[in-house]
Order: sequence, then structure tokens, then C-alpha cells
Amino acid sequence: MQSQAVKRTSGKKAWKEWAWGWFFIAPTIVGLVVLNLIPMAQSAYLSFFKSGDFGRNNIYVGLDNYRKLVQDAQVWHAVANTLLYAAIVVPVSIALAMLIAVLLNQKIAGRSAYRTIYFIPMIAAPAAVTMVWRWMYNQQFGLFNYVLSKFGLPPVDWISNPRLALVSIAVIGIWSVVGYNMVLLLAGLQEIPKDYYEASDIDGAGRIRQFFVITLPLVTPTLFFVVVTSVIQAMQVFDVIFMMIDVTNPAYDHTVSLVYLFYNSSFKYMDRGYGSAIVMLLLALIMIITFFQMKAQKRWVHYQ
Amino acid sequence: MTHKRWTTLVSIGLTATMLAACGNGGNGGNGAAGNAGSEPSKAENGSTGSGSGGNVTLRYALWDSNQEKGARKIADAFEAKNPNIKIKIEVAGWSDYWTMLEAGATGGSLPDVFWMHSNEIYRYASNGMLLDLNDQIAKSTEVKLENYPEGLNQIYNFDGKQYAVPRDFDTIGLWYNKTLFDKANLSYPDENWTWDDLKSAAKTLTKDGVYGLLAPMHNQEGYYNFVYQNGGTIITDDKKSGYDDPKTIEALDYYISFTREGLSPMTVVDAERPELIKNGKVAMGIFGSWNLSSFAENEYMAKNFDVAVLPKKEKQASIYNGLGHAIDAKTKHPEEAWKFVEFLSSKEGQEMQAELGLAIPAYKGTAQKWVESSSTFHSQVFVDMVQYGVVRPYSNTTLVWEDKAYEALKPAFLGQATVEEAAKNAAKIMNESLSQEK
Repeated sequence: MQSQAVKRTSGKKAWKEWAWGWFFIAPTIVGLVVLNLIPMAQSAYLSFFKSGDFGRNNIYVGLDNYRKLVQDAQVWHAVANTLLYAAIVVPVSIALAMLIAVLLNQKIAGRSAYRTIYFIPMIAAPAAVTMVWRWMYNQQFGLFNYVLSKFGLPPVDWISNPRLALVSIAVIGIWSVVGYNMVLLLAGLQEIPKDYYEASDIDGAGRIRQFFVITLPLVTPTLFFVVVTSVIQAMQVFDVIFMMIDVTNPAYDHTVSLVYLFYNSSFKYMDRGYGSAIVMLLLALIMIITFFQMKAQKRWVHYQ
Repeated sequence: MTHKRWTTLVSIGLTATMLAACGNGGNGGNGAAGNAGSEPSKAENGSTGSGSGGNVTLRYALWDSNQEKGARKIADAFEAKNPNIKIKIEVAGWSDYWTMLEAGATGGSLPDVFWMHSNEIYRYASNGMLLDLNDQIAKSTEVKLENYPEGLNQIYNFDGKQYAVPRDFDTIGLWYNKTLFDKANLSYPDENWTWDDLKSAAKTLTKDGVYGLLAPMHNQEGYYNFVYQNGGTIITDDKKSGYDDPKTIEALDYYISFTREGLSPMTVVDAERPELIKNGKVAMGIFGSWNLSSFAENEYMAKNFDVAVLPKKEKQASIYNGLGHAIDAKTKHPEEAWKFVEFLSSKEGQEMQAELGLAIPAYKGTAQKWVESSSTFHSQVFVDMVQYGVVRPYSNTTLVWEDKAYEALKPAFLGQATVEEAAKNAAKIMNESLSQEK
């Protein structure tokens, strides 16, 4: 009798805890399901259809969209551009963010002012930022070409030269993301116990050596997170390219990203099915890259 | 910090960002749907007594915020005449506008009255989203289709049914720098100008860092005009590409020769076009009538520039287009909505539109008032060009093949391929695209 009663109360208690647990994570779970998982499943579903107007009369076409995808040279340009963009933006932005984070982790005057300044690009609207950059890159009247002309150099076609345009765009991407990565890394740096530095001071290690022997290994968990999220973010590059590069631009083929192609197919040409197939390809690419990053983390990430 | 925690964090981050693009699209839709969702209830409340003269609120959507104030004034005039009808104007930028309409059409909550464009009319009309206006027009004393340019009526006619009444039109003109013409002792362009005059003037005017003509890679404000002046075509009546027509190729070659010969800057970035002319980098430019107010606001242009009709070759031609007023097929107030469209399309409404300087009114004979509304430039030419205007080429999937043609023609502009090769390639790609049209 008694034991049963205990059991019942403990069962009740467990259920209560379980309910409260779900209750607390519900806002996140609901958001995730409604805003991410359901649309994701719908995109996957839609990629097997030729979409009709206004969400009606979708025709099932099996793998046709994917067949078209494989044969579409522009999709493969976009894959190459997207990967190249990520390959430029991720290492450069993280290296810069690391450098700034280490510098701002010291006791220097106006430290919080610097931190704020570096973080500002993150809170500025990407479209507005791009407008300003577009002006600076302007071939005839832009700031950069004006400076070049002061040194007697010829103007550069920053955003219409096929070889240069992606780099010009990557510069904006780096500029926008450095502050955010810096803040994350700074948080990681501050978790490193001071004792290690004090001990190595006594042992006579210099600043550079301290960075490679103490700072870098101990910040790897944060660094790993920054790398993974930066790659995902870079793979989804869209707004800057969309604002800068029209289809008439000679650099279009060398800058168009997968999300830009997805946007054009889905919202300009109203071919939602094909657009969904493109975004599925992007999803697959991101999953593959992230999978390998997860595998590789054992080799270089040191959890304390 | 455990391994597991990071894994969870990362995988959440991954899923959260995976379909960010979709999310964006969805957000636009959600936003629009949210707006739309809240509106009908209001309209319903208003309509409870509509039969007995109660108040009705109509939603009127447009995409040009520059015209909002003027549109409001016209709506006020309508409200004064029809005290039981209120007009609620909704403005969204060009691309947001179509996202909003798309969401509205999908969810069954379109605005009651809205602007329609040649690029989109087919999708909306063929899917039964628009109210067939044939009966109303037949009964109306104010709206008679013969009062509007036939080309514009045709755009909004699908399967013999009229789905919108033309509101305005725009044509393309030749803008020129009077000061530079005077300096070079050249006579200003006029209706007798030929392609040869344009070319030789461009040659004379190209000097001191100024280019003679801005001949950018642009269809409507660029080579389309020349194609039709040369007797070529972009799309044939049986919906085949005209890019392989020898006349079209000849016109393209003439147009591209300005860039090839250094008489025009190589301009491929759309946003740079108006900047070049506003900053005096080009002596002549090809721009549509909708630029009038922004050009007039530019001090340099207001002082030095004027506008003329386009030059001719075999014939005179200028691309024109115009938007129309359409009504939601499922509107709860078809009669009131038609009353409003009737007013907007009537001589009175169109004259108001002209006097307010909004856009060249489509109603024949009212354009004069639009010309008088602004005196900075000789805007009469835009009205003159309608008599030989060619409607902007369109089909059911205009946006798709226009972009494909751009991509195919690009090498010719950049000098990487001959114009003939590029044009034939454009024709091939455009025909493939057209063959997939329903």
C-alpha cells in the first residue's frame, strides 16, 4: 500500500517535471517546427512538383526538377561561387575576428567602445549596408576609384569585372561578420582561466607563444562553433549579391549564389518547384560540410 | 562546456539557418497575409449594411509611393461624391507589391482594387483572380474602351474579357544636354533625326571625358526601341522569338556599336545609368517618361537637359507600356469597386491624375494637362510618341525570357561574341523558354 502510494506520487512528480520541461522549451520547439521544420518539409515536397500559380494545380513530376538541376550549368556556377565565397569569407573573417578579440581582451583604454564599434556592422541592415558599399564601388563616382585616381591609377570595375566581383562582395561579407565573430570569440577568451597565463609568465613564455600554446587550444570550442555557423551563413549569401549584381552584369555567372538562383526561380520566374530543388541542393551541401566538420572536430577541438 | 552541448547547439543552429531563404520568402508572405488578414474583417464590418447605404471600405493597392499623395487626392474626390464608400490606400514597393498580391491571391484576400502590369496580367487573369469587366464597361457611360490606346486595352484583355482599364502610359525619349549641343554647334534632336544623325552627333559630342550617348544593356530603355525602328521585332504574333530576325540583329548591331566604338560607356549595372546622365558624363541618354520628376529634381539636368522624340530608321518607334486598374474577382463589393475604377478611368479622374502630374493619363485627350503640369522639360514629346508607340513586348512568361535574352546578349555587349552569334543564341534560348509556356 505504502510503496504503491510512494510510487504514485513519484510517478506524478516525474510527470510534472516532464510537463514543466516541455512547457519551458515549448516556445523554441513551436517556433522551430512552425518556422523551420514544416517549411523545410514543404520545400522538399515541392521539389518534386511543377508548381502551379498561386499554390494551386501543382503537377507531380518526380525527379524532373533534379534532372534539370544536374544539367543546368548555372547551378554548378552557383555551387562553385557559393563555395568560393565561403572559402574566402570564413577564414579571413575568423582570422581577423580572432586578432581583434585577442587585442580587445587586454586592459586597454576605451575597450568597450571598440567592442561596440566592431559590432555595429552586425546590427546594420544588410540592404542599407550594401547600398553604401555599392556607392563606394561605383565605377565612375565611387570612393575607391576616387582614391585610386588621386594616385594617378585607372578606375577599377569592382563589381562588373568577373574576376574581381566575388572578392568585392566577399569584402562586404567579411566586414559585416567580423564584429559578431569577435564577440563570440571574446566570450570564449574570457572563459580561459588566468592561472594558465600567470604560470606561463613565470615559465618565461612570450605573448606569441602564449597565444599558440594557451589561448588558441583553449578557445577551440568557441572557434569550432564560430567556424560551423560562419560556413552555414556564408553558404547562404544572398542579399549583397542580389543588391549588387543584376542579370545584365558580366560578372553574374561568376557571382550568382545558390540562394540567389533559388530566389530568381521561385519568386521571379515563379517556378517554385525548381527553386525548391535548388534549395535542397544547398541543404545537402551544408549538411555534408557540417558532417565533416563534426567528424574533424575530434582532431582539433579541446574541450576542457 | 561539454561536447554534447556544442553538438546540440550546432545542430539547432544548422536547422535554424538551413531554410533562412525560405524563411525570408515566408516572412514576406506572412507579413502580407497578416495585413490582408486584418483587413477583410474591417471591410466586413463596414459592409454589414451595404445594401441600405451603410459604409463600405475598399482597399486600393499600388506600388509607387511617389504617387501615393496624388492617388489619395483622387480618392478623396471620389469619397466626396460617394459618401458611403471609403478608400483605404495600401502602398508597397515594386517587388513587395507582387509578393503581397501573390499572398493575397493565394489566400483569397486580394485588395479590392489594384494596379496591374503587363508582366503579371496573364497569371492573374488566367487563374480567375480578376473580375471580368466586360458587362460593367458595356453598361458604363464613363468608360468606353475606344477612349484608351488600343495597345493598352489589349494587354489587359484575355480570352475576350477585359480584366483591367488602362490607367496611364509611358514612352521612351531621347534626353540631350543642350549646353553641350550648343557648344558643339549641333542642332537639337527633333522628329526628323535619323540613326545617322544620332551616330554623328554622338561622335562629335564624345570628348573631354564625356560620352556622346548612353547606350546601356537595357531593353525597354534601350535596344527594344531601335529594333522596332528598324522594322524588326522581339516577339512575333505567334509567340516566337524575333531575335534571329535580320532586322533585329541589324538594330542590335547598330545599338551595340556605340559601346564598341567608345561613344557610350560600358554600362551593365542598372543603377549606374541615371547616375551617369545626372552627373553629366553622357551628352545623350535614352530614358522613359517615368524619370521626368527625378530628372527635374536634379539641378544639373534641369538646367542643361531637355528631351526629344527618339530618332528613326525605317520608321519612328518608341516602346510604350501602361498599367491598369483591376478588381479582385472575389471582392465583397464588386459594385462599389467598379464605381471606383469607373471614376479613376473617367475623363474627370484621368484629368485629375494629369493635373497632379502623377503619370501620363491613358484617356485620350487628357494628356495635355499632364504636359502642362511640369514645365522643366519639353514633355510633350512623350505624348507625341504614342501615335507610333509599340507596346513593350510581352507574353505569358515575359520575365523569364527577358532575363534569358539578357544573359545570351551579354557577350555581344562585352565584345566577346559577334552580335549575330549572341542574337541567334538569344533567339534559341527564348524559343525554348516560350515553348514551355502554357
